[in-house]
Amino acid sequence: MMALDQTILMATGTALLFLGIASITISKNLLKSIMSFQVAVFGANLALFASGFGYGPRLLSDAFVVLSVLVGASVEAVGLAIIVVVYRKYGTLNPDEIRRLRR
Amino acid sequence: MESELVALLISGALFVTVAVSLLSTKVSNSLIALFYASIVLGIGFTVYGDGLLGLLTMITFAGAISVLLLSVVLITGESKLDLGARRVALGAIPLAAAIGGISLLTVFSGQSGGLATSDSSLAVLNFLWTLRPWDLLILIVVFAGSMVAIVSLLGREE
Repeated sequence: MMALDQTILMATGTALLFLGIASITISKNLLKSIMSFQVAVFGANLALFASGFGYGPRLLSDAFVVLSVLVGASVEAVGLAIIVVVYRKYGTLNPDEIRRLRR
Repeated sequence: MESELVALLISGALFVTVAVSLLSTKVSNSLIALFYASIVLGIGFTVYGDGLLGLLTMITFAGAISVLLLSVVLITGESKLDLGARRVALGAIPLAAAIGGISLLTVFSGQSGGLATSDSSLAVLNFLWTLRPWDLLILIVVFAGSMVAIVSLLGREE
Protein backbone atom coordinates (compact mmCIF):
# COMPACT_ATOMS: atom_id res chain seq x y z
CA MET A 1 0.00 0.00 0.00
CA MET A 2 1.29 3.41 -0.90
CA ALA A 3 2.02 5.95 1.81
CA LEU A 4 -0.02 9.14 1.77
CA ASP A 5 2.90 11.39 0.89
CA GLN A 6 3.83 9.06 -1.98
CA THR A 7 0.27 9.22 -3.28
CA ILE A 8 0.24 13.02 -3.06
CA LEU A 9 3.54 13.37 -4.91
CA MET A 10 2.57 10.81 -7.57
CA ALA A 11 -0.75 12.55 -8.17
CA THR A 12 0.97 15.94 -8.39
CA GLY A 13 3.57 14.59 -10.79
CA THR A 14 0.97 12.99 -13.04
CA ALA A 15 -1.18 16.12 -13.00
CA LEU A 16 1.80 18.31 -13.92
CA LEU A 17 2.76 15.91 -16.72
CA PHE A 18 -0.70 16.06 -18.30
CA LEU A 19 -0.95 19.82 -17.68
CA GLY A 20 2.34 20.31 -19.53
CA ILE A 21 1.33 18.07 -22.44
CA ALA A 22 -2.05 19.80 -22.76
CA SER A 23 -0.40 23.21 -22.67
CA ILE A 24 2.09 22.19 -25.39
CA THR A 25 -0.79 21.34 -27.71
CA ILE A 26 -2.78 24.48 -26.91
CA SER A 27 0.05 27.02 -26.84
CA LYS A 28 0.28 29.60 -29.65
CA ASN A 29 3.87 30.56 -28.88
CA LEU A 30 6.90 28.33 -29.32
CA LEU A 31 8.55 29.76 -26.19
CA LYS A 32 5.46 28.89 -24.19
CA SER A 33 5.59 25.38 -25.65
CA ILE A 34 9.14 24.96 -24.37
CA MET A 35 8.05 26.17 -20.94
CA SER A 36 5.15 23.70 -21.01
CA PHE A 37 7.61 20.97 -21.93
CA GLN A 38 9.62 21.94 -18.85
CA VAL A 39 6.49 21.59 -16.72
CA ALA A 40 5.89 18.13 -18.20
CA VAL A 41 9.50 17.18 -17.37
CA PHE A 42 8.98 18.41 -13.80
CA GLY A 43 5.90 16.21 -13.49
CA ALA A 44 7.65 13.16 -14.90
CA ASN A 45 10.60 13.67 -12.56
CA LEU A 46 8.38 14.06 -9.51
CA ALA A 47 6.32 10.97 -10.38
CA LEU A 48 9.48 8.92 -11.03
CA PHE A 49 11.00 10.10 -7.76
CA ALA A 50 7.86 9.29 -5.77
CA SER A 51 7.54 5.86 -7.39
CA GLY A 52 10.65 4.72 -5.51
CA PHE A 53 9.23 5.33 -2.02
CA GLY A 54 8.67 2.39 0.27
CA TYR A 55 10.90 -0.18 -1.44
CA GLY A 56 14.06 0.19 0.63
CA PRO A 57 16.81 2.36 -0.85
CA ARG A 58 15.26 4.00 -3.92
CA LEU A 59 18.42 3.97 -6.02
CA LEU A 60 16.94 2.92 -9.35
CA SER A 61 14.22 5.59 -9.36
CA ASP A 62 16.77 8.24 -8.36
CA ALA A 63 19.09 7.11 -11.17
CA PHE A 64 16.20 7.42 -13.63
CA VAL A 65 15.42 10.91 -12.36
CA VAL A 66 19.07 11.94 -12.89
CA LEU A 67 18.80 10.62 -16.45
CA SER A 68 15.48 12.36 -17.00
CA VAL A 69 16.72 15.71 -15.67
CA LEU A 70 19.78 15.75 -17.90
CA VAL A 71 18.04 14.47 -21.03
CA GLY A 72 15.18 16.95 -20.45
CA ALA A 73 17.64 19.82 -20.11
CA SER A 74 19.44 18.78 -23.32
CA VAL A 75 16.18 18.55 -25.26
CA GLU A 76 15.11 21.93 -23.97
CA ALA A 77 18.41 23.57 -24.91
CA VAL A 78 18.18 22.19 -28.47
CA GLY A 79 14.56 23.35 -28.64
CA LEU A 80 15.55 26.87 -27.67
CA ALA A 81 18.30 26.91 -30.31
CA ILE A 82 15.73 25.79 -32.91
CA ILE A 83 13.42 28.61 -31.75
CA VAL A 84 16.16 31.17 -32.35
CA VAL A 85 16.75 29.78 -35.86
CA VAL A 86 13.01 29.78 -36.62
CA TYR A 87 12.67 33.36 -35.38
CA ARG A 88 15.58 34.51 -37.54
CA LYS A 89 14.00 32.85 -40.58
CA TYR A 90 10.31 33.71 -40.16
CA GLY A 91 10.28 36.61 -37.69
CA THR A 92 7.53 35.10 -35.57
CA LEU A 93 7.07 32.40 -32.94
CA ASN A 94 3.43 31.65 -33.68
CA PRO A 95 3.19 28.09 -35.10
CA ASP A 96 0.16 28.92 -37.27
CA GLU A 97 1.89 31.97 -38.72
CA ILE A 98 5.03 29.93 -39.41
CA ARG A 99 2.92 27.25 -41.14
CA ARG A 100 1.28 29.94 -43.28
CA LEU A 101 4.63 31.52 -44.21
CA ARG A 102 6.11 28.17 -45.23
CA ARG A 103 3.54 27.68 -47.95
CA MET B 1 2.15 13.51 9.66
CA GLU B 2 4.89 16.03 8.94
CA SER B 3 5.91 14.16 5.82
CA GLU B 4 2.36 14.41 4.45
CA LEU B 5 2.30 18.11 5.31
CA VAL B 6 5.57 18.67 3.47
CA ALA B 7 4.29 16.69 0.46
CA LEU B 8 1.10 18.79 0.45
CA LEU B 9 3.06 22.03 0.71
CA ILE B 10 5.42 21.06 -2.09
CA SER B 11 2.51 19.98 -4.29
CA GLY B 12 0.61 23.19 -3.56
CA ALA B 13 3.61 25.37 -4.27
CA LEU B 14 4.32 23.48 -7.49
CA PHE B 15 0.71 23.83 -8.65
CA VAL B 16 0.64 27.55 -7.86
CA THR B 17 3.92 28.33 -9.62
CA VAL B 18 3.11 26.15 -12.64
CA ALA B 19 -0.40 27.60 -12.93
CA VAL B 20 1.00 31.15 -12.84
CA SER B 21 3.59 30.14 -15.41
CA LEU B 22 1.13 28.56 -17.83
CA LEU B 23 -1.70 31.06 -17.42
CA SER B 24 0.37 34.21 -17.57
CA THR B 25 0.12 36.13 -20.83
CA LYS B 26 3.56 37.69 -20.42
CA VAL B 27 6.59 35.54 -21.09
CA SER B 28 8.57 37.31 -18.37
CA ASN B 29 6.00 36.35 -15.72
CA SER B 30 5.99 32.76 -16.97
CA LEU B 31 9.77 32.65 -16.77
CA ILE B 32 9.89 33.90 -13.19
CA ALA B 33 7.17 31.47 -12.08
CA LEU B 34 8.95 28.59 -13.80
CA PHE B 35 12.15 29.55 -12.00
CA TYR B 36 10.30 29.31 -8.68
CA ALA B 37 8.83 25.95 -9.72
CA SER B 38 12.35 24.58 -10.32
CA ILE B 39 13.46 25.83 -6.91
CA VAL B 40 10.44 24.21 -5.22
CA LEU B 41 11.09 20.90 -6.99
CA GLY B 42 14.74 21.00 -5.95
CA ILE B 43 13.78 21.69 -2.34
CA GLY B 44 11.33 18.78 -2.50
CA PHE B 45 14.00 16.34 -3.68
CA THR B 46 16.38 17.58 -0.98
CA VAL B 47 13.80 17.29 1.78
CA TYR B 48 13.04 13.71 0.76
CA GLY B 49 16.67 12.74 1.23
CA ASP B 50 18.31 13.23 -2.15
CA GLY B 51 20.47 16.33 -2.12
CA LEU B 52 22.15 15.32 -5.39
CA LEU B 53 18.88 15.38 -7.30
CA GLY B 54 17.86 18.64 -5.67
CA LEU B 55 21.15 20.25 -6.56
CA LEU B 56 21.03 18.87 -10.10
CA THR B 57 17.48 20.15 -10.63
CA MET B 58 18.30 23.59 -9.29
CA ILE B 59 21.54 23.88 -11.29
CA THR B 60 20.09 22.67 -14.60
CA PHE B 61 16.56 24.08 -14.55
CA ALA B 62 16.69 27.09 -12.20
CA GLY B 63 20.20 27.97 -13.37
CA ALA B 64 21.09 26.99 -16.90
CA ILE B 65 17.70 26.63 -18.57
CA SER B 66 16.27 29.79 -17.00
CA VAL B 67 19.22 31.82 -18.26
CA LEU B 68 18.90 30.19 -21.67
CA LEU B 69 15.17 30.98 -21.78
CA LEU B 70 15.89 34.56 -20.75
CA SER B 71 18.48 34.98 -23.49
CA VAL B 72 16.06 33.55 -26.08
CA VAL B 73 13.37 35.96 -24.83
CA LEU B 74 15.79 38.84 -25.26
CA ILE B 75 16.92 37.66 -28.72
CA THR B 76 13.40 37.22 -30.02
CA GLY B 77 11.97 40.24 -28.17
CA GLU B 78 8.81 38.27 -27.46
CA SER B 79 8.20 39.95 -24.14
CA LYS B 80 8.83 43.41 -22.78
CA LEU B 81 10.77 42.57 -19.64
CA ASP B 82 9.40 45.30 -17.40
CA LEU B 83 8.79 44.96 -13.67
CA GLY B 84 5.21 43.83 -14.13
CA ALA B 85 6.11 40.50 -12.58
CA ARG B 86 6.59 42.09 -9.16
CA ARG B 87 3.22 40.90 -7.87
CA VAL B 88 3.95 37.32 -8.96
CA ALA B 89 7.33 37.44 -7.31
CA LEU B 90 5.89 38.92 -4.12
CA GLY B 91 3.26 36.17 -4.01
CA ALA B 92 5.77 33.40 -4.54
CA ILE B 93 8.37 34.57 -2.01
CA PRO B 94 6.32 33.83 1.17
CA LEU B 95 5.32 30.48 -0.31
CA ALA B 96 8.94 29.51 -0.98
CA ALA B 97 9.94 30.79 2.48
CA ALA B 98 7.23 28.69 4.15
CA ILE B 99 8.33 25.58 2.29
CA GLY B 100 11.96 26.21 3.11
CA GLY B 101 11.20 26.82 6.79
CA ILE B 102 9.12 23.68 7.26
CA SER B 103 11.63 21.63 5.30
CA LEU B 104 14.51 22.82 7.47
CA LEU B 105 12.44 22.21 10.60
CA THR B 106 11.63 18.63 9.62
CA VAL B 107 15.19 17.86 8.56
CA PHE B 108 16.84 19.28 11.68
CA SER B 109 14.24 18.12 14.21
CA GLY B 110 14.97 14.51 13.32
CA GLN B 111 11.28 13.59 13.74
CA SER B 112 10.54 13.46 10.09
CA GLY B 113 8.23 10.45 9.85
CA GLY B 114 8.37 9.24 6.26
CA LEU B 115 11.00 11.77 5.32
CA ALA B 116 14.57 10.59 5.02
CA THR B 117 16.95 11.85 7.68
CA SER B 118 20.12 10.94 5.81
CA ASP B 119 21.21 11.97 2.35
CA SER B 120 21.42 9.15 -0.22
CA SER B 121 23.32 11.10 -2.88
CA LEU B 122 26.54 9.12 -2.52
CA ALA B 123 24.65 5.82 -2.70
CA VAL B 124 22.95 6.96 -5.91
CA LEU B 125 26.27 8.02 -7.45
CA ASN B 126 27.87 4.73 -6.41
CA PHE B 127 24.91 2.78 -7.81
CA LEU B 128 25.10 4.65 -11.12
CA TRP B 129 28.85 4.23 -11.45
CA THR B 130 29.02 0.53 -10.56
CA LEU B 131 25.73 -0.94 -11.80
CA ARG B 132 24.47 1.41 -14.52
CA PRO B 133 27.52 2.77 -16.37
CA TRP B 134 25.66 2.49 -19.68
CA ASP B 135 23.24 5.15 -18.45
CA LEU B 136 26.14 7.48 -17.84
CA LEU B 137 27.52 6.74 -21.31
CA ILE B 138 24.11 7.46 -22.87
CA LEU B 139 23.99 10.72 -20.91
CA ILE B 140 27.38 11.78 -22.21
CA VAL B 141 26.37 10.93 -25.80
CA VAL B 142 23.07 12.86 -25.47
CA PHE B 143 24.81 15.84 -23.91
CA ALA B 144 27.57 15.92 -26.51
CA GLY B 145 25.00 15.53 -29.31
CA SER B 146 22.85 18.35 -27.99
CA MET B 147 25.84 20.68 -27.64
CA VAL B 148 26.94 19.95 -31.23
CA ALA B 149 23.37 20.56 -32.44
CA ILE B 150 23.16 23.88 -30.57
CA VAL B 151 26.50 25.11 -31.92
CA SER B 152 25.50 24.05 -35.44
CA LEU B 153 22.08 25.74 -35.20
CA LEU B 154 23.28 29.00 -33.68
CA GLY B 155 26.31 29.23 -35.94
CA ARG B 156 24.19 29.05 -39.07
CA GLU B 157 24.26 32.13 -41.27
CA GLU B 158 20.99 33.69 -42.39
